[in-house]
Amino acid sequence: MKRNTPLITLLTGAALGVVLLIASMLSTPSKAPAGYTATATPTAAATAPSTPAPASTVPSSAPPTPTTTAYASAPAQANYAGKVQGGGASVAISIHGSQAIAYVCNGSAVEAWLKGTAADGKVVMTGKNHARLTVAYGSGQVTGDVVAHDTHYSFAVNTVNKPSGLYEATAVVRGATIKAGWIVLPDGTQVGSLESDANSAAPSAIAAPVLDVATGTATFDGVVLHAISVSGLSGSGF
Amino acid sequence: MTAQPGMSASLPPDRAASGAAKLVVPCLIGALVALTLGIYGRLHSPTGIAINIAGFSSPGSVKSWLATGATVLALVQVASALVMYGKVPRVSAPSWIGGLHRWSGRLAFLLAVPVAIHCLYALGFQHYSTRVLIHSVFGCLFFGAFTVKMLILPKRGLPGWVLPVVGALVFTALVVIWFTSAYWFFSTFGIKR
Repeated sequence: MKRNTPLITLLTGAALGVVLLIASMLSTPSKAPAGYTATATPTAAATAPSTPAPASTVPSSAPPTPTTTAYASAPAQANYAGKVQGGGASVAISIHGSQAIAYVCNGSAVEAWLKGTAADGKVVMTGKNHARLTVAYGSGQVTGDVVAHDTHYSFAVNTVNKPSGLYEATAVVRGATIKAGWIVLPDGTQVGSLESDANSAAPSAIAAPVLDVATGTATFDGVVLHAISVSGLSGSGF
Repeated sequence: MTAQPGMSASLPPDRAASGAAKLVVPCLIGALVALTLGIYGRLHSPTGIAINIAGFSSPGSVKSWLATGATVLALVQVASALVMYGKVPRVSAPSWIGGLHRWSGRLAFLLAVPVAIHCLYALGFQHYSTRVLIHSVFGCLFFGAFTVKMLILPKRGLPGWVLPVVGALVFTALVVIWFTSAYWFFSTFGIKR
């Protein structure tokens, strides 16, 4: 009987794994929001425009195997913002014609500004620190995946209207260019991060000071930052 | 992993085989476990979310603390194994050392399982950076190696080097996993709950 105890250990672990897996599956909301077309179009073949790689020994990141679905129609201009799955960060994407700007941020060290060229309702964006974002967007919603600071997020977020959306502020403080970004959600909550040396090839970030959305200002280290809205509708920030 | 009861039932005919030959079936099963985890992680579309545990700031910190717990217990494993094998000068193995070794191992394994499930279900097998690739590969190898260790433990007549070598493989894999995940997490985001 004693000889079987290692097997019991294995089976206990396997059973625990199966239980957790089933519980995870039950707690996961359906990934098919309304407005989806059912045909899954893998964008693995998407030839991404690669940014000038920042000096680093890490090989260029591969796309995070997006499960992007094509939308029936893509708006020419749109602003999207919301929380990623799991709520660990927020993402904001602004489309202005063929230009796309995105910001993903957890209110602390994980954040990235990304840019890309939009076409046919899809866009692959890249940013510093090997950040990469792949989305499909339609009227009302955008879905996709983003990797920033080696952290992967999936998301499906909706269009937002002012004062919700993406804000950025840059300033030179004691010789260093700082750049702050805020994502303001429809419920009024915001997350923001601040790069203390934004011109660096691999900027690092800290939590941003609170943005006063009414005045568009925030105070960092005694300096007043003036934020502008990054809006695909008005083209500001592009 | 659920395939083991059926597989192990076919083991007894091997009993007459030489010591090393007894390793073949456990190793094949272990390889199957590692492959299954890797293939599932690659094919399953990562959800980005899984069950969170109250009291922690994020799934990342939950996993980092569980993994750290498992790694500390793995150090207990190495220490107790050295004592059992009489490799520590002037320390004779106390009667409870076997129990300590077994229970710390079981606990370490049970701590590692929820972490692995979150990895597999929410994140999947990824390769977008060297750290992530190494972590994905060793995560699969760890559970394969652990399966081998558990399956060969009850076997008699194995060469004496087998258990220490397999145990060392399990330990090494866990330490690699820890360095490429929890250590990275704590050094990137700070040591937080």
